[in-house]
Amino acid sequence: MYELFIHQWKEKVRSSFWQKNIFLNILLGILGLYFVANIVVVSLFADKILLKIYTDRNVVEAFTGLLFYYFSFDLIVRFLFQQLPTISIQPYLTLPIKKSLLLHYPLLRSITSFFNVFAVLLFLPFFIKNIWFTQSFQFSFTWIIIALSLVGTNNFLNFSLKKYFSKIPLLILTFLGALALIIYLDITNVYSFSDYFAEVVYYLSANSLFVILPVSILALSYYSAYSFLRNHAYIEDPHSKAAAKSAGLTIFDQFGEIGQLIGLEVKMVLRNKRPKSLLYIGGFFVLYGFMFYRKENLEDYFIMSFMGLLLTSWFSINYGQYLFSWESAYFDAILANKIGSFNYIKSKHLFFSLTSILGYLTILPYAFISYKIALINAAFLVFNIGITSVIILFFCLFNKSYIDLGKSQMMNFQGTGVVQYLLLIPIAGLPFLIAFLCNALGGLQYYYYAIAAVGFLGIVFNKNIIQSIANKFERRKYKMAAGFREK
Amino acid sequence: MIEIIDLKKIYGSNTALSIDKLKIDKNEFIGLVGNNGAGKTTLLSLILDLIKPTAGCVKSKSIKVSASNDWKNYTGSFLNEGFLIPFLTPVEFLEFIGNLHGKNSADVSNFLNENVHFFDKDAFSNKYNRELSSGNKNKIGILASFLSMPELLILDEPFANLDPSSQSWLKSKLKKLNSEGTTILISSHDLKHVTEVCSRIILLEGGHVIQDASTSSDTLVELERYFEV
Repeated sequence: MYELFIHQWKEKVRSSFWQKNIFLNILLGILGLYFVANIVVVSLFADKILLKIYTDRNVVEAFTGLLFYYFSFDLIVRFLFQQLPTISIQPYLTLPIKKSLLLHYPLLRSITSFFNVFAVLLFLPFFIKNIWFTQSFQFSFTWIIIALSLVGTNNFLNFSLKKYFSKIPLLILTFLGALALIIYLDITNVYSFSDYFAEVVYYLSANSLFVILPVSILALSYYSAYSFLRNHAYIEDPHSKAAAKSAGLTIFDQFGEIGQLIGLEVKMVLRNKRPKSLLYIGGFFVLYGFMFYRKENLEDYFIMSFMGLLLTSWFSINYGQYLFSWESAYFDAILANKIGSFNYIKSKHLFFSLTSILGYLTILPYAFISYKIALINAAFLVFNIGITSVIILFFCLFNKSYIDLGKSQMMNFQGTGVVQYLLLIPIAGLPFLIAFLCNALGGLQYYYYAIAAVGFLGIVFNKNIIQSIANKFERRKYKMAAGFREK
Repeated sequence: MIEIIDLKKIYGSNTALSIDKLKIDKNEFIGLVGNNGAGKTTLLSLILDLIKPTAGCVKSKSIKVSASNDWKNYTGSFLNEGFLIPFLTPVEFLEFIGNLHGKNSADVSNFLNENVHFFDKDAFSNKYNRELSSGNKNKIGILASFLSMPELLILDEPFANLDPSSQSWLKSKLKKLNSEGTTILISSHDLKHVTEVCSRIILLEGGHVIQDASTSSDTLVELERYFEV
């Protein structure tokens, strides 16, 4: 088992990604530490925050109640993003190593996943400050065991849920819908699951023997995940029995070479784990509107610009920053086949435009708050089609990192380079520059018109811009292809 | 058809390929042989404009391949798995390649029916390319390469990972394509296959052309003697 962990560690540190991007490693290290510090600080000062929200409630009781939400959301997010740890044991299956050991290994390895580390960082400082030093040993001991058992249960339960639900996609929606309904009923005080959850935890914490219950649930979830792995521990691709999905996507084929390339891009997004998970993440972006689209923010240029830009281009920015890298596994096929550079780049631009329009339609209901939202977002839609998307296209010509389409997006930095950071400067900076110029000329009230006008100019000159990007692509393609071949 | 002039590919201090002059005439069937690192794949990649030469150039029909995409209209190729689109089913992939050359689904279906002994599409209709075995991946790539009946066909180790029946079928198919006018350039480690089907053998070693001659009844023995350790 120890050797397997060592191999796992070597796999991480010896991957070409970590060896190539020293600057990025340092940056990610700093960001990681900053992230950890943030969680720890939130946990340490959670009591102060809770006292302000729940003035008449015990802090530990309030925190325990909130754990209900945490575990519900945790299960949803894990379900969408946490990867099954099955593939890593494949090279060892034919070696003289006990099969049971090989099956326990990935499960035990999953304990160190981001989701579990996050939970421990969030719970532990609060626990030490507010429970360990103030409550009885019995209560403290039982409380932390329950909390950690539930983290572990979610970890292993997720693997089993994926197994059963993957066969019937409708069940996934039912499961997610049920969880969302429970949370909604709780928030609207129709039925307070969180209070009930806190009561149960308190009841169990009153007697150390009751610790058996959460630990048993944890053991059961572990056994269920183990059984799943045992039944699938053969070299057989998990998708092998699945029929080809989105097979009917032939609508684009009638639009010639460009349509075909867009169709290929759509299939790539829908059939591969990492790009597909960006669609799920997009769902969260759309919800930002509930936070920011308030009557008092309608005159705030900064907030409205930020939201307009983000909500109409979340997919093209998120997906587009890795453009070309998505095709790294078959980039040679693109180069060697009869695909013209102009059409290739044009198809990418049209794909971005389509996703921006879809993004705009998705957030159109926010117009019920104010019609101004729809108009401002329309200006940014034009800006994104004319300007943002071509900026992304140009910058991505300098990205030559390979991406494994089958890996999860969560905490996955493969394909990330300096380009992704530089890209944000013109995307975010240009609207500010336009606002600055409007203000300097004494016409800030015309800012949104200016945004739309600049975007419109981008659309008018689109053919020339795409042609110059295609020319640049012709010069850059060798370096890009060489980079993509270095997996 | 193909003209190579002062072609060099250098990686750091390592010269992967250095060929002063090499011509491939229309309707030739050429086999590239050589040990690992001899420069076979590098040469094929340079002809397909997949890598940039350090010096010199490759011309196809008298036009530099790096200066125009015209060669893509009449060239079919398959070098490795990177030429397959992993998330498409075999039929979808062939339709994609076929459509680029103006063929519709019915044309592709007919093509698959004609070549059913090489690849049975019905057995893999629900699988994506990434889920196929190495042999079947090769078959799909090879089929895609001559789907458009190209004037020039370039294949890197086409017999690798194929079962004996498929190897036999492929040899016949390549001979037939060549007899119908297709210029073919293949690389292979299988000296028997390559001497059997090719009319000219180019032996590479350390990035240089060591021998370039027409195939004769003695070629196989000579090559086997050359590669003897």
